[in-house]
Amino acid sequence: MSRLTENHNLAGTLVCVEGIDGSGKSTQITLLRDWLKAAGQDVIFTEWNSSELISQTTKLAKKKNLLSPRTFSLLHAVDFADRFKQIIGPALKAGFIVLADRYAYTAFARDVARGVDAAWVRNVYGFAYKPDLAIYFDIDPKTSMERICSNRTPKFYEAGMDLKLSNDPYESYMIFQGRVIKEYQKMVKEFGLIKLNANDSIHSKQVEIRRMLKEVLNSKGIKI
Amino acid sequence: MEKFKRKHKYEGLLVVIEGTDGSGKSTQLELMKKYLQAHSYGVMVSEWKTSRLIANVIDDAKERNLLNATTYSLLYAADFADRLENQIIPALKSGFVVLLDRYYYTALARDVVRGQDIEWVKNLYEYAPEPDLVFYLDMPVDVLLKRIIGTTGLDFYESGRDVGFSTDFYKSFEIYQKKCLEQYDKMKEEYGFKSIDGTKSREEIHKIMQGEIQKILQSGVID
Repeated sequence: MSRLTENHNLAGTLVCVEGIDGSGKSTQITLLRDWLKAAGQDVIFTEWNSSELISQTTKLAKKKNLLSPRTFSLLHAVDFADRFKQIIGPALKAGFIVLADRYAYTAFARDVARGVDAAWVRNVYGFAYKPDLAIYFDIDPKTSMERICSNRTPKFYEAGMDLKLSNDPYESYMIFQGRVIKEYQKMVKEFGLIKLNANDSIHSKQVEIRRMLKEVLNSKGIKI
Repeated sequence: MEKFKRKHKYEGLLVVIEGTDGSGKSTQLELMKKYLQAHSYGVMVSEWKTSRLIANVIDDAKERNLLNATTYSLLYAADFADRLENQIIPALKSGFVVLLDRYYYTALARDVVRGQDIEWVKNLYEYAPEPDLVFYLDMPVDVLLKRIIGTTGLDFYESGRDVGFSTDFYKSFEIYQKKCLEQYDKMKEEYGFKSIDGTKSREEIHKIMQGEIQKILQSGVID
């Protein structure tokens, strides 16, 4: 079973942003949220690994380096499932515009980069609705690292240190995030992610995203 | 005697005891452990929902009724994965007899009763090694009900109250356990369970299990 390949027929609209850290996702989705709210739309925002049920446990387990690729994958799936059933699903049924900072594609990219079977993890998330608009911010690992690691070393899991690719966290980050990007790029075709160049200006990306979202909303009879 | 053929690629032996709540699994596990140790076999025991990573999260979430059917499935799958990778597989690699109180069959039964798609649940566990021997303690529902009420009492999730079969505690418990039993019944053949009448005495049950395990051990498979 996978809902990710068929359109949902719910009243609401689901938008997600994807990409590795430092690709500017959060900036873009915040701008989008403020604009939609100002335009009087009902908006709900939800972000990766933020559920009441499990996010603290996952963060703690990451700090202690307790996670294998499989448990890393499953704990994030628990988080997603909790937010999906509690927030995303009900909000879509009630007609909200749901803005998700990362969605199932994050799991597909990261978990597969960790060696988890691609079909397995897609099935785990088989209950997730297909977004009306899924945007992928494409960036190279070096720029990403320069942005997020300007004043700290990369963290254990974000650098993929669990995979023992290199003892140097910077080098490991480059290799691991390079793999994650490859997975994202495959998903452009597989799931119809819309690829934007993360190096474009904040303004030009936002203009493009608003144009695309307007189109989606118009098709549902919502003028903005 | 022909050597027993393992169902996985590891040195050890993987033995599972399945059955619903109150069927006597843990008693039998304890007896079997003592028996094997007395015969100089290395034994590792692992019970359902005991991972360092997640077991307390499940308990806490249950206490606060935070779980839906999907998070219920996935949390148990995470607990299982953690135990499998950190306890079960290392022990199997080292040639232990691994005795397990419940295996993925428990998840299949409970999750399907909670309305999950069976193929979805099977996929969650598809990477797990197949056990060499699965004992199933078969108990009629009325005996089970009495046993559980007389010992631990009715628990919210074990009674399937989260599924909403009935607002009456007893009724809900009865329906839930019956549905779980139906799932186990279906699995008996599919997975080749050694089904044992759970109403027999603990000594009788132990003897039957001992006989099955002996056959395998005497073939010299882990000598």
